[in-house]
Amino acid sequence: MKKLLSIIGLSALLFTSCSKDKDAVTLQGEGKVTLTMDAVFGNQDFALNKDFKSSGITYNFNKFRYWLSNVVLVSATGQEVKISGSYYLMEETGEIKLTGVNNDLPTTIYPATKRENVVLKEIPAGNYKSIKFSVGIDQKYNDNMSLQSGELSQLNGMTNVSWMWLTSYIFTSAAGKVSDGTTTKNMLLETGLNANYKTIALDLPKSLNVSASESASIVVNADLSKVADGIDVMTNPVVGASKATVMAAVANNYATKVFTVKSVN
Amino acid sequence: MIGKCAFLRIAALFFLLGVAFSCKKENMSEEISQALHAVKLQVPVNFPPVMEHVENPLTKEGIELGRMLFYDVRLSGNNKISCASCHRQDLAFSDGTALTKVGVSDRALTRHAPVLFNLAWAENGLFWDGGSKNLESQALGPLTSADEMFQDLNVLEQELKADPDYVKRFGIVFKDGVRSVNVIKALSQFQRTLISGTSKYDQYKRSEPGASLTESELLGMNLVNTKCKACHRGELFTDNEYHNNGIDATFNDDHEGIYQGRFRVTFNPLDLGKFKTPSLRNVLVTAPYMHDGRFKTIDEVLDHYQSGIKISPTTDQLLYQNQGQVGIPLTQKERQAIIAFLGTLTDHEFITNKKISNPHE
Repeated sequence: MKKLLSIIGLSALLFTSCSKDKDAVTLQGEGKVTLTMDAVFGNQDFALNKDFKSSGITYNFNKFRYWLSNVVLVSATGQEVKISGSYYLMEETGEIKLTGVNNDLPTTIYPATKRENVVLKEIPAGNYKSIKFSVGIDQKYNDNMSLQSGELSQLNGMTNVSWMWLTSYIFTSAAGKVSDGTTTKNMLLETGLNANYKTIALDLPKSLNVSASESASIVVNADLSKVADGIDVMTNPVVGASKATVMAAVANNYATKVFTVKSVN
Repeated sequence: MIGKCAFLRIAALFFLLGVAFSCKKENMSEEISQALHAVKLQVPVNFPPVMEHVENPLTKEGIELGRMLFYDVRLSGNNKISCASCHRQDLAFSDGTALTKVGVSDRALTRHAPVLFNLAWAENGLFWDGGSKNLESQALGPLTSADEMFQDLNVLEQELKADPDYVKRFGIVFKDGVRSVNVIKALSQFQRTLISGTSKYDQYKRSEPGASLTESELLGMNLVNTKCKACHRGELFTDNEYHNNGIDATFNDDHEGIYQGRFRVTFNPLDLGKFKTPSLRNVLVTAPYMHDGRFKTIDEVLDHYQSGIKISPTTDQLLYQNQGQVGIPLTQKERQAIIAFLGTLTDHEFITNKKISNPHE
């Protein structure tokens, strides 16, 4: 009889662990929210191949890409609405020659792309006070690239299969040139270690009202002038896994400085 | 009452299974369809239990597909090399070369191709410094690396989709058919079935009829047990951990830290110069040795442990076996006995088994 009780107890446990997942995901409802991640440099609009100055350094970018993941909207009452499968590749980039290119087939070129918008669907109608999202890929998916969710893919050059032999995703990548007026260097600031995965929670300046009839939107600024904040980019223009400490600093900038809410409608 | 209770228990068990199944189903990316035959790994009785990969469940069809891909040169950018080019079955899936130049670029690699067997137990990182957490992710390394197979994954999908047999096989095994993500899953399934556990040692260990070790082999086994097994542990003959075995004294950061070993994955200074313990199984057919294949023979390896160990802050304390000094003293007789015992770890059945050989031949 004891065994029977323990079996029932165990199944009760299993039930709990099952339903737990579902608590966070409440996707019944009608509303849609457009989330715009607007790239800026300080108070200027961001653009590729354009000079931006900050603290005596001139930046000129040809690529800005990052994984936006695990988006959560928090209702006025504190209920969290998790957007399932929310793995989005946000980017503004020129043509990219993909790793493993060895011929002239057009598939080996990733085309120039600008992508700032994400549509969050099936959001329960109501009022929302804050948004949470992560930059990078959580460990479960980062450690196993055969698991699929959202836009996760090995085919877009945001995986890192030869970089230090850490087979995982590249979380953020900002590339171009930096100059201090006398020297110009190639810049590549990347993150991608599990420790670099950061979750950002931003309060909305006013309530986000989601309903079936009206469209709602959030605009978040992604400020590239903050990516290398506190980092001597002339000394460390290339940041990757062999520079874990500097990489951690870049990841912290994404976590604490790069993103701010611009507007809610 | 007993009968009733048993009935209840069985009912509860079915109920429990139902719950467990419905739970698992949500998490599993691939459901096993009816055309597929689930496979349970044949674990030798002297081996530890094996972990199941619920995200990539083994099926007869998936394993066979993985085997076809493993031996298919279309996996490389120049369509000339396959996984088997550097992982030859007759050499326990190693390549007999220190730093191969067989890759698409013709440039020598900076790492010695590792053996492939008993990977179903390799749950503590793959590659010599453990930069991959599982076989699935690992496969993308050699597939795309410019100095190895240098394949464009988009092109790979196109090439496989042009082959009706592959299209059919992928369609049976995976819901979404030919995709690079399914290539790495199938390869992993095949590799998890590469179990080497039928050596003379295993037969002796399992007290199989007629199995015995000679006096010298037994002496060698005892020596290995006392002097080597702290790292080359258990029936797998590896602890799947990372150690600095003293082959270098300094570990500079040249070539993206290739000599720094585990450090470049963990960034922990205590891991500087540590590399994964290779298994002693099949060791006599898998020369040369170490992460860069620097030792050509097993004698050179024994020379190293006896008198060649270099000291640095992370040199493993287990190597201090000479009255507090570094090194593992061995007499000539002991060396011969160790080599005799290592010979009993060669798995002739495994290295000639037709079930895991090239299906295209």
